[in-house]
Amino acid sequence: MKAQLKELIESLVFVSLEPLSLDKIKEVLEEFPEEEVEDAFLGLVESYSSNQKGIQIIQSAGGYLFSTKPEYDIWIRRLLQIERKNKLSPAALETLAAVAYHQPITQAEISAIRGVDSSHTLRGLLQKRLIKIVGRKKSPGKPLIYRTSEKFLTYFGLNSLKDLPTKEELEKILEEEQTSEEE
Amino acid sequence: METADCYQVKLDVFEGPLDLLLFLIKKKKIDIHDIPIAVITREYLKYLDRKDQINLDREGEFLLIAALLIHIKSQMLLPREKDSREDEDDPRRILIDSLIEHQKIKAVSGLLKDKEEEESQRWKRSFTPPLSSPEEVELAEVSLFDLAQSFFTLMKRREQENIKLIKEKEYSLDEKMKEILDELKAKDFLDFFVYFEQQESLEEALLAFFSILVLIKNRIVVAIQEHLFHTIKVWLRKEALETKRP
Repeated sequence: MKAQLKELIESLVFVSLEPLSLDKIKEVLEEFPEEEVEDAFLGLVESYSSNQKGIQIIQSAGGYLFSTKPEYDIWIRRLLQIERKNKLSPAALETLAAVAYHQPITQAEISAIRGVDSSHTLRGLLQKRLIKIVGRKKSPGKPLIYRTSEKFLTYFGLNSLKDLPTKEELEKILEEEQTSEEE
Repeated sequence: METADCYQVKLDVFEGPLDLLLFLIKKKKIDIHDIPIAVITREYLKYLDRKDQINLDREGEFLLIAALLIHIKSQMLLPREKDSREDEDDPRRILIDSLIEHQKIKAVSGLLKDKEEEESQRWKRSFTPPLSSPEEVELAEVSLFDLAQSFFTLMKRREQENIKLIKEKEYSLDEKMKEILDELKAKDFLDFFVYFEQQESLEEALLAFFSILVLIKNRIVVAIQEHLFHTIKVWLRKEALETKRP
């Protein structure tokens, strides 16, 4: 059964369009003992980490999903007839960074941090579903408040927000940059 | 980068107003506690005078910083009572804080850019578009409401064209239906928008619209929209082709 369990989990990951968490797998495979599911799952991930497969199982947004290897990108794009993938603009990246580090955050706060009006950029990010509205702030005008979405994590290949450097780490990076530039 | 468009401060070469200050602080070329606001603003005003065209976004950003700088300067010029809250109230403090915050955000956005690049080379099932073949587009049958709305927008557009031509031709519903069917048989499908643009008069367009409605009602044709907000296409129903209605 164990070998089959591995195949079964493989099928589950395959059909999932979104990252599939181990908890979800356990939930679906309720009739199997949790430990066996876990073992089979680990075995599956391990077998995919070998060098003989073009497809990998990667961890993203707290779950697992199939992904191709980056080195085959050009041929995949050739097949799909995609010249270049659209990238986010510097303004969009900066806004996302502000949201990621200061969430929950309002539009006015984002604009203040960036020093430029960010309403347009924010709308674009909402449309791309990289950020989401989580409610309204209990302050004058009841402005909307924003957070990064799950798609934000998958888009940047992050497992969780903790994958981003902490504010303290950032300060260190900036300090190092400064000293190295002075040398 | 549109360096030609950028304001260049005489002290050094910089990219933009906020970047300029960041650069100054980073390089410690100028102590943040000693920003020569007068120099910067004077030079900037001269620069604006020379320009006959300005980039509102960029200059607006500069203006914001400049205003803040002037505010600081004015605060510095006024004699101040020494009080304990000096540090909190020091406008320079606010500026420095926001600059540091901005620096951090810049650093993170650089990091995100790298991540994006890396991630864009990994193809996942959810991000992979289907290999497109023209037949397999997702089709949505449109409602009468969609059709009517499209029709009225088209008519609105045509109203403004000020049609002067008056034709004496008589139209009949049956003829129009036959015309549409013939065209459908020849062409596979009709583009709703294009078809109505082709109609010579309002009367004819109205008739064509009613004909299509009748054809839809009798299940001879089907109106389909491939993507939201795209044009509506009218197709002959396959069943109708086979049974050959009168």
